[in-house]
Amino acid sequence: MTYYTVAEHLFGVKSDENMTSLMANYRPFFTDDVTGAEELFTLTVLQGGPISYTEEWRQEDEGQETICGHTGQDEPLFEFRWAGCTAGWLVCTPGYRNGTLYLSGFQTKAALDNALMIMFAMASACTGTVLFHAAAVSLDGHGYMFLGKSGTGKSTHARLWLEHIPGTELMNDDNPAVRIKDGTAVVYGTPWSGKTPCYRNVSAPLGGIVLLSQAPYNRIVPLTGIGAYAAIVPSISGKRWDPKIADGLHDTEDKIAGTVTVWHLDCLPDADAAHLCKDTIAL
Amino acid sequence: MKIKKGFVLRTVCGENVIVGEGLDAINFGRMLSLNETAAWLWKQAQQQGDFTAQSLTDALCSEYEVTPEQALTDVKETMDNWSKLGVIE
Repeated sequence: MTYYTVAEHLFGVKSDENMTSLMANYRPFFTDDVTGAEELFTLTVLQGGPISYTEEWRQEDEGQETICGHTGQDEPLFEFRWAGCTAGWLVCTPGYRNGTLYLSGFQTKAALDNALMIMFAMASACTGTVLFHAAAVSLDGHGYMFLGKSGTGKSTHARLWLEHIPGTELMNDDNPAVRIKDGTAVVYGTPWSGKTPCYRNVSAPLGGIVLLSQAPYNRIVPLTGIGAYAAIVPSISGKRWDPKIADGLHDTEDKIAGTVTVWHLDCLPDADAAHLCKDTIAL
Repeated sequence: MKIKKGFVLRTVCGENVIVGEGLDAINFGRMLSLNETAAWLWKQAQQQGDFTAQSLTDALCSEYEVTPEQALTDVKETMDNWSKLGVIE
């Protein structure tokens, strides 16, 4: 078993040695002293499948399809497909403490990353932790997250901060985690960062969240209450038809909406957008 | 009438909202904000399972100081709104 720590959650991965070369993005999160620590979950990686199951729901995004369902023993199951071909099946124990990933041999790396993201999101849902679909930067000791639908320009806006605002660093470009620690929201880098190889084991108190929309001008307005909540919920992955997961996510989302300033930025992909945003939101 | 499967009442920053969380409701894609009375009626509707304008009106009258006529008007207005938005059937 190899151990990793993400957002201060320990998890273990059991696989054969060939897999290690595919897990470079996890190296910054490697943890060797695990005495006394309890893992959030463990994942065992095997070659195998197909696994039969009953489908509940499917989601398609950029040629990648995730099908959720359950096995005959009522274990949660996720199948990962690319261009219609199955990369693997993830079978979880109820409560998401243990998972087994059966690899087909196609798209092994992507299946492994997806399986670990799902295990992490599900197992941590009731611990005040959420995995966002966002880009995150840090500046002067605080983290800032940019949200928006695919193609809105989250990464572009983060890059504009890096280019035009001295001192800005990229924390994560696709899937940062946020965890409520003693009533404060903290943003963490993770091993999952989309197409940008930015796998940093860093964290910062979350200073602001910005929902982006494309527009022919730059304008920023604050969102509060339900507006803030409605802005962040669509950017958090989870299986909301599982009532326990839904309750856990809601608690965290409500706390984030109530404690972190949330903004809506209509913007062009230009330096002015980054300056306006930073001048308005930075603590 | 019944509350459609998958719709739940949540408290968001101290306010009551209906959100779609179940498999049949996941594509609802919006949130419905409820005032105190509407939230109370939603909880009643949930408890009753199968409810009518009359059954909610009776419950409202037994809990609050309100005339049956006023209660029925409020309940009907609330239920119309829910029907239009498709959160009850």
